Amino acid sequence: MASSTVLLVEDNDINRDMLTRRLTRAGLTVMTATDGASALDAMREHQPGVVLMDMTLPVLSGWEATAKAKSDPSVAAIPIIALTAHAMAADRERAMNAGCSDYETKPIDFPALLSKIYLFLGANNT
Amino acid sequence: MIGSILAAKIDFIQVSTLGLRLVPTLSSLTEHCSDELADDLGALVRAIERLSSAVNGGQTNRHDLLNAVAAVKGYSEMLLDSADEALIPVRDQVDEIASALSQTSQTPESLPATSRALDSLTGCSILVVDDLPENLDLMSRLLQKMDCDVITANSGRDALSMLAERPVDIVLLDLVMPDIGGREVLARIKADEQLRALPVIMISGQQDMDHIIDCIQIGADDYLLKPVNSVLLNARIKSGIERKRWHDKEEQYREQLEKREQFIRQTFGRYISDAIVEEILEKPEGLKLGGDLRNVTLMMSDIRRFTTLVEHLPPEQVVLLLNRYLGKMTDIILHHGGTIDEFLGDAVLAAFGAPSESDHHAEQAVNCAIEMQSAMADINAMNADDGLPHLEMAIALNTGEVVAGNIGSERRSKYGFVGHQVNVTSRIEDDALPNEILISEQTLQAIDNDVFEVGDSRTLNAKGMEGLLTVYPVIGVNLNG
Repeated sequence: MASSTVLLVEDNDINRDMLTRRLTRAGLTVMTATDGASALDAMREHQPGVVLMDMTLPVLSGWEATAKAKSDPSVAAIPIIALTAHAMAADRERAMNAGCSDYETKPIDFPALLSKIYLFLGANNT
Repeated sequence: MIGSILAAKIDFIQVSTLGLRLVPTLSSLTEHCSDELADDLGALVRAIERLSSAVNGGQTNRHDLLNAVAAVKGYSEMLLDSADEALIPVRDQVDEIASALSQTSQTPESLPATSRALDSLTGCSILVVDDLPENLDLMSRLLQKMDCDVITANSGRDALSMLAERPVDIVLLDLVMPDIGGREVLARIKADEQLRALPVIMISGQQDMDHIIDCIQIGADDYLLKPVNSVLLNARIKSGIERKRWHDKEEQYREQLEKREQFIRQTFGRYISDAIVEEILEKPEGLKLGGDLRNVTLMMSDIRRFTTLVEHLPPEQVVLLLNRYLGKMTDIILHHGGTIDEFLGDAVLAAFGAPSESDHHAEQAVNCAIEMQSAMADINAMNADDGLPHLEMAIALNTGEVVAGNIGSERRSKYGFVGHQVNVTSRIEDDALPNEILISEQTLQAIDNDVFEVGDSRTLNAKGMEGLLTVYPVIGVNLNG
């Protein structure tokens, strides 16, 4: 039932393109959104298996979008991996408190990110 | 802070210079290679240009700078992953860019945010477990750079014996090892009462993801993939240690609570049954004054002619005699589910059926009284050895309604029983003979007559109470009944 689609939410065009390419090469189906509000719409409509959420987004920030997603029963169970620009412990905690399942800092350690995605997609399917 | 921003920028300038120098070559490659590769190469060129304009255009917005760095790094790594032969001429240069950027991002000081965010790991003791000496060496170096106190074990067996000897803050555990593997070490840590809270981070290759999931299910705190990234390593260790600290705090708090509970138990446990202690501990609001009307069986016992017996004994002998007797009786009463309301010299007032309700409180009380009387033989044997007087106890039982609850003032209250039936019990006790168990009509009606055998009834004239009291001595238990 659970989808193996990854929803990538990233406003920076070049990073969105880069991550989309790399995730697609890794065999994943990737959907993208460029702000928090459209990310929420996409989560509700497409029920992705996991969300990669940049936390500094226009319209609705990643923090707000995550909080909204976690209080919406139709999408609350979808794991969200926060992508933050800072290797700050405070941000990590903030992401966890916001309801994110995990986090990665930019620049992304791609193999680590991939293993997390697999972990969450795997957990969904068992 | 300013120094580190400058340092970071200088690194990026170097990288963007490297990149710009490579741009013509990359562009020329796109002309004779697959469309897909051409597209990827184009993307890297755009990213390099973005980075160079972010660096040279005087942009100080860290977010934009990082995004540009992330893109160049990502595209470079992606190209390096590709096996396309067309890339061979630029492979080394792309590798140079990618690794320069990883180094930049992996040196905590080079990113402004990290330098102030992460508390240092100075002094944290870390056990690294890996069967390969080169891995142990690499990890030790990385961790020593973070000022950690590193100890290493080259087998699961070694790790377990080290953990038994000295405490550490966190364990980095290789998944695949001969003999006792990482999963087994983890399982043993999590099965050990002392070690359970110790954070364990599993280290493994990408191909072992299934095992990692399994490890997380049995209690691993986190995991890292090889080759280990030092920023991630630092962050994971820190969060592991933080979790452990929270846990320790929780543990401390729990210990305090336990101490308090023990104190209550020790203070009250000698006088009241475990049932009341439980009730007090479970609902402190139960300590408020007030009570319930409860049907209970009351017990009153005393040593006949006690005052006369001990008249000539020195005080410490009297205390020894009383403690031996009351200690034994307390054990028996609590064992039968009774609640001791009061010791009055050699006399004991106890009740069955409160605070915890019981359908058999009368039978419990009679059984208890029988055991108390039988115990007197042992007590008297010990008394004889110590040259102390021979004691004879009388017990009265009576069943009826009393007010049970916390009685007294705000400053001093105790769980106890009050009511007319307490006086009735006392009146019966007055008339009980040495070594006798005398029960009221109400108690007799509440017990199973096939089990307990009673002697001829006696009638007591109860002064100040209406009518006469009919009482019966218990003379035996029919065990076959």
